[in-house]
Amino acid sequence: MYSAKKETVTMLLAGGQGTRLGVLTRDIAKPAVPFGGKYRIIDFPLSNCINSGMDTIGVLTQYQPFDLNQYIGNGQPWDLDRLNGGVFILPPYVKGKSGEWYKGTANAIYQNIEFIDRYDADYVLILSGDHIYKMDYSLMLKAHKEKHSDCTIAVIDVPLKEASRFGIMSVNKNNKITEFEEKPQKPKSTKASMGIYIFNWKVLKKYLIEDEENKKSNNDFGKDIIPKMLADKQNLYAFSFEGYWKDVGTISSLWQSNMDLLSRDKKNSLDLINKWKIYARNTAEPPHFVGKNGKITNSIVTEGCLINGSVLNSVLSQSCVVEKGAVVENSVILPGAFIGENAVIKYSIVGEGGVVEAGAVVGSSQSGPEDGEWKIAVVGPKAVIKKQSVVKAGEMVEGGKQ
Amino acid sequence: MNNIMGVVFASNLETKLNELTIRRTPASLPFCGRYRLIDFTLSNFVNSGITSIGILTKNNYNSLMEHIRMGRDWDLNRKNSGIAMFPPYAHNQSKDVYKDKIEAIYSIFNYLVKTKEEYAVITDSNIVTNIDYEDVYNYHIKNGADITMVTYEAEPCSLRRIIVETDSDMAVKDMYISTVSDDRKKQIGLNIYLMKKDLLKSLIENAYARGLGDFEKDILFKKLGQLKIMAYKVNGYAEIIDDIKGYFKQNMKMLDYKIRKDLFYKYGKIMTKVKDSVPTVYGDKANVTNSLIADGCIINGTVENSVLFRGVKIEEGAVIKNSIIMENGYIMHGVNISYAILDKHVTVQEGRNISGYETYPVVIVKDKIV
Repeated sequence: MYSAKKETVTMLLAGGQGTRLGVLTRDIAKPAVPFGGKYRIIDFPLSNCINSGMDTIGVLTQYQPFDLNQYIGNGQPWDLDRLNGGVFILPPYVKGKSGEWYKGTANAIYQNIEFIDRYDADYVLILSGDHIYKMDYSLMLKAHKEKHSDCTIAVIDVPLKEASRFGIMSVNKNNKITEFEEKPQKPKSTKASMGIYIFNWKVLKKYLIEDEENKKSNNDFGKDIIPKMLADKQNLYAFSFEGYWKDVGTISSLWQSNMDLLSRDKKNSLDLINKWKIYARNTAEPPHFVGKNGKITNSIVTEGCLINGSVLNSVLSQSCVVEKGAVVENSVILPGAFIGENAVIKYSIVGEGGVVEAGAVVGSSQSGPEDGEWKIAVVGPKAVIKKQSVVKAGEMVEGGKQ
Repeated sequence: MNNIMGVVFASNLETKLNELTIRRTPASLPFCGRYRLIDFTLSNFVNSGITSIGILTKNNYNSLMEHIRMGRDWDLNRKNSGIAMFPPYAHNQSKDVYKDKIEAIYSIFNYLVKTKEEYAVITDSNIVTNIDYEDVYNYHIKNGADITMVTYEAEPCSLRRIIVETDSDMAVKDMYISTVSDDRKKQIGLNIYLMKKDLLKSLIENAYARGLGDFEKDILFKKLGQLKIMAYKVNGYAEIIDDIKGYFKQNMKMLDYKIRKDLFYKYGKIMTKVKDSVPTVYGDKANVTNSLIADGCIINGTVENSVLFRGVKIEEGAVIKNSIIMENGYIMHGVNISYAILDKHVTVQEGRNISGYETYPVVIVKDKIV
């Protein structure tokens, strides 16, 4: 088999169950959740990779992988169908007589040591499949090389009051990491780990093998590998990222991040339109149609939609239908959802193929988040909200079992 | 349908698309927000399992080549079969650029000999319809036809139309060329023919040897008595696009949901080159009704009864009515546009007015700044 040397191999952790997204990830892996009209979450790290010149990517899947596998396919939409390199789905598999699931983020990489070795990689870039951002990884790699670092961790400044939700780094004036605390109660800094790491492969490989032998380990990068490397006085550096970055692990943050696309505040919104293109698998739909009774303001609308109702401050994915008299406000409508006549949708997420029948009311207006969380109503994928019925703010409706 | 190959004429010789085809073939004329005319031909082939496709071009084919590339967007980048592009002089035996269809087919005679398929569909590329060639083929076999020609019902116009008269079994009894408008609908040929490749080869070889050029006049009309020619009538939407008035009218017809449903979904989806545009963004002052809007637009003005292609920008206070604005059009503040076709990359500066008539839409050619 032809596999010439690759300086960097990227490992994309896409196996998380995404339990906090509830019904939205009941049947699909979190990275396959639709985002921003025509994308899925995984389009962001994949597009960042190809735009950064990283063309050899292993996608580690485990939970509900079918949609994700089918979506990635041969990687062609991201220009990742390569003779040497490209994108590979790496599920857990049976090795000899034993086989096991990925026990943790570090274990997932451990189980694929052979894949990285095959490309004789010098560096390994580790990404997770649940963040929305645009980032040039080649700049991070450059910094990694310049500092002769063993591990570089991308960090972003977060507000102090939110810092206890993240892995927090303390750094010296050279950006060398002196301390790392996972979700500290009293954070000593506001530099939060973005879950993006570049390792020297030789060093990481050694730590992965040691970590695997330690039966008490959680086999996790944040909890085990990074603290161990710091304790051993390895060279760990932080790489500061400025720009939009959002963890979309909860309903509230997934909704908020979609709403951020509509924001005029450039600092707090993702510029989808700039040259750093995000690629997605195309569904070959005709342009969207706005009917005689359609009214769309401050919104994003994707191909294949039929809009004959009122749409305000919302994100509509491909092939949604909004019937006459329906009102969609401050909501995210995922692909193929149907909003019947005179239905009212406010502060909600309607899942793929969800149906809101005529006159139904989903969600209600919110003045702001409570304890940082919006009360977003969720209609699950393929769920049907019957005529004239009501789904309260923050309520979640599950679709029929597949 | 692995047994059928497609031959596509990308440079239809008799169209009157004027300004719209100064720098492109009719095949690559943009249509309905994100397509080019040849997308319908290619998608229909692929959706019917026809994957061996030769495309004949004559001039202005740069935009066509750029659009099709290796055919990946239609799943035609195959190891076996796929797209073969034939610009003029592609083969040794073409001593000169072909003048007509018979010469054109003769110029790719080697390709016809080499390909393994038993049947061939020859088609123009300015036909907008959704058709299942498997059904055409079954019809051809069932009727024991020598040639099956695809037809539709429409009103004859001042452009070249093949009027077809059939008996009650749809066998063609007479056909002739009309260039006279008529309010009464007639059965008209769509310029799509299915026949055995061997028959095509012998017809072309004979006609070429006698210096003949017109496929319909010199072959079909003359062979009417000897060959069994069947008409296969398309029952959904179908149209030939060959002048500006018709181009405008058919784009506007796309605002009808029933027509779109028929054209874009009936026997499979219509595929086109993927450009990875972002979704369209509507601003606070957007007011869009009865319009088709492709991805990548930024709209903050008024749009009514119009078709916007990818990446069109409409500023606040601009009013677009009954118009077609192709890719990357930029309409500035306070502009009024009605009954116009703006070709790609046209900028209309603040306060300008452009207006034509339904029967005579104004065309602004590619890359102009008004």
